[in-house]
Amino acid sequence: MRNIAPSPTGPQVLEADGIRIAFGGREVLASIYLRVQTGQIVGLLGRNGSGKSVLLQTIFGARAVADASVRVNGRRVVPAFRQPGLLNYLPQEPLLPTSLSLARAARLLGVDIERATARFPELRPQFGRRLGELSGGSARLVQALLLLHANTAFSLFDEPFSGVMPVHVESLAEEMQLMKQHKGLLITDHRYAEVLPICDVVYLLHQGRLLRLDGDVRELLRDYGYLVS
Amino acid sequence: MNLLLTQVRATLLFYRSVAPFMLGVSGLLLGAAMVSAMQEGFTRNLVFRLLLLKLATAPVVWYLSEQLRPGQYWFYFNLHISRRQLWASMVGLDAALFLGGVGLVLAVMS
Repeated sequence: MRNIAPSPTGPQVLEADGIRIAFGGREVLASIYLRVQTGQIVGLLGRNGSGKSVLLQTIFGARAVADASVRVNGRRVVPAFRQPGLLNYLPQEPLLPTSLSLARAARLLGVDIERATARFPELRPQFGRRLGELSGGSARLVQALLLLHANTAFSLFDEPFSGVMPVHVESLAEEMQLMKQHKGLLITDHRYAEVLPICDVVYLLHQGRLLRLDGDVRELLRDYGYLVS
Repeated sequence: MNLLLTQVRATLLFYRSVAPFMLGVSGLLLGAAMVSAMQEGFTRNLVFRLLLLKLATAPVVWYLSEQLRPGQYWFYFNLHISRRQLWASMVGLDAALFLGGVGLVLAVMS
């Protein structure tokens, strides 16, 4: 059950700003304003160590940052993960406890696992298994699908395509496009060739600043040194 | 209601991950209590001291858990449960189990 009611006048809007983080004297995140709305897939790109994961974790609320402001429809929601039905987060590391089968995890998350994996029939025999018993790619895929189909207004995905085989990457990207009708997605992944075509908005984290890329995104990514050619 | 049920299930799931240590400590304390009770008899004061001792081991388990499994909370966060909520429920459950064990020992010895 979602506590934050859908805005009667339009989509729900998640905004984050005021996030400043430094590690060992180096300012990783300094000037941040990020906006995601339901019905959108937003891509977050950046070089290794640029602070993408830290930013997602801060928005999610797992990382306490003084002065960080995370708002939904203008209302402050910190830590955001405490609001039922608001958002979920796929970390880079394994999400599910080692003792938990996929079917039980789905039940706890309130997800119909049959429906969530309908596009991936090869996953069906794995429902009774634990995450550690699956291949790395299958484990990643299942976790992304469970959170994608969970009843939240937003999903934050950190490297959802990592280790997933190409045919499944394509299907997962299609699934994301389908699910964006119901939620807003914020994705960070180095597989930019798969990410860019599905994104409605692309941000680049560059030297602590979050830049919204409008126009020729690939050209801008080259200009900022994220792509070579 | 659903949220409460989810929290109870999540607490049980989390307890399973630390149960070997928590129950091990409980077993040791109960063993020591039995020895003490055989010599001096079970007193209300002893039960209180045992419970305090048991609760005092919780921060040690918390510290070890944080150091050894820093990524263990992501699933619970996705169930909208905070660290504090998880540990408070878990310590409460563990204390209740411990007191149940003490009660059992008392019943056996009386």
